[in-house]
Amino acid sequence: MTDPVIAEEILSPSGSVRESVDFSAWLWRLALIIGLLLIWEFAAGNLFNEFWSSRPSLIGERLLLLLKSGELWRHVHTTVTEALLGLFLGALIGTPIGIALAHYRRAAKIVDPLVMGLYGLPRVALAPMFILWFGISLFSKVMMSFSMVVFVFILNVTEGIRTVDPDMIDLMRTMRAPRSYVMRKVTIPSIVPWLLASFRIGIGLSLVGAVVGELIGANRGLGWYVVRAGGQLDTTGVFAGLFLLMLIAMIANQIIFLIERKVLHWRREAR
Amino acid sequence: MTDATEAPRILLDNVSLSYATPRGRLPVVDRVSLAVDRAEFVVLVGPSGCGKSTILRAIAGLNAAESGMIAVDGKTVDGPPEHIGFMFQKDTLLPWLTVRENIEVGLDLAGISPALRAQRVADMLVLLRLSDFRDAYPAQLSGGMRHRVSLGRMLAYEPAVMLMDEPFGALDFQTKAAMGRELLRIWEAERRSILFVTHDIEEAVALADRVLVFSPRPARIIAEHRIDLPRPRNLRALRASPDFTAYTSAIWEALGDGDQSS
Repeated sequence: MTDPVIAEEILSPSGSVRESVDFSAWLWRLALIIGLLLIWEFAAGNLFNEFWSSRPSLIGERLLLLLKSGELWRHVHTTVTEALLGLFLGALIGTPIGIALAHYRRAAKIVDPLVMGLYGLPRVALAPMFILWFGISLFSKVMMSFSMVVFVFILNVTEGIRTVDPDMIDLMRTMRAPRSYVMRKVTIPSIVPWLLASFRIGIGLSLVGAVVGELIGANRGLGWYVVRAGGQLDTTGVFAGLFLLMLIAMIANQIIFLIERKVLHWRREAR
Repeated sequence: MTDATEAPRILLDNVSLSYATPRGRLPVVDRVSLAVDRAEFVVLVGPSGCGKSTILRAIAGLNAAESGMIAVDGKTVDGPPEHIGFMFQKDTLLPWLTVRENIEVGLDLAGISPALRAQRVADMLVLLRLSDFRDAYPAQLSGGMRHRVSLGRMLAYEPAVMLMDEPFGALDFQTKAAMGRELLRIWEAERRSILFVTHDIEEAVALADRVLVFSPRPARIIAEHRIDLPRPRNLRALRASPDFTAYTSAIWEALGDGDQSS
């Protein structure tokens, strides 16, 4: 009576084909990037003065130069440290606040306008105050990065807990599950996807925070490098810095993607 | 009906239930009294939204009664009682746990030892023909299979009272019939108390020892039918029998025109 055909279809390794890397998508991605770079390379200097946009070949040369001098590593290291510290601090403080707000609905209702107000506030405008409060050391950039990220965690975690199926909780109650059991088996697993989503959004924001912090007062870091290059009308330098920021964000995003695939494997449907 | 020596498994005495709404309390259940014996399969039918589910939730200790008394195994209900199982219309499986782990949840909470637990899970998987799917996640299963797992989770820890709130309501006709057969097969082998809510009259007659018919909200019991069809029941043969038809039309009658006109 068992349906072995269906069983095989669903559980066979053929399901893993979908998980393997999609090479053709990667090829297309690569082709797109190379195409755009070629257009850029050709247009700059031919269609308009290369001063306005620099050229991929010049930017590549600059990156190589920075790499050799060790400057590249120094700036990347600085900015990544600031962003990561801000990101993890945001997660560490935002998550429990989010859990608390989802739990104490009345308190959440009271503080909601305040949270949304702070969230809507352009943190960039606060940068001078951050220098005043936290100095021009690493700490002020971490705090800037933190201030960008923490709300993402608060809001996502709150929403995540609120969307936990109440029937699931009720079912646990009919089995006389203690609170801690419900927390462990239902609540926490159901906020994991929201946490990972927060990290994904948070990566970009934490980099923005670190760079904004560096724009105002710093002596190293990619943000600082970009601003200095801009001040010297060094477009190649500006684009070299931007390229590195983009690369960092892409790599970080890919890491989160891999973690998501590992942790959220239960979401995948077999087909 | 009730054995003189044994108290009924479930007892409701003059129970009224209501919901808090912004415009005050909305009465949902109006002075309902009923008793379910050990090993008795009782089905509640009535128009949808009439308050049948609320009765079930109150017995499970999820909602408090406004007045009257609810007792399970002679103990007044105040929070979820011991040895009950509940099944919702949705499968309510934990999506991050495999089939095996989902079934284990109930066993774990019932305090059953790991060794016995493994045995029970294995038995349940065989009983529900899910052995090939023991390590699959709910997202990989069809709706019917998820319901079987959900049923298995409840059966595995052997609750003395099973409260089932339109458990097969969301399934297509064929799957629903198959689930009904499955439930009867298991229950007829090992009888326990079941209180089963549905608005499908044929399903009610096919399964029940006794059918209680409810009015539209606020719910009151307006009719009671003892279904004296032989067990074990063969549902396919049953549906064609004149007795079956007589029971279903009697219940249609009891429900009145309210259902058709509204």
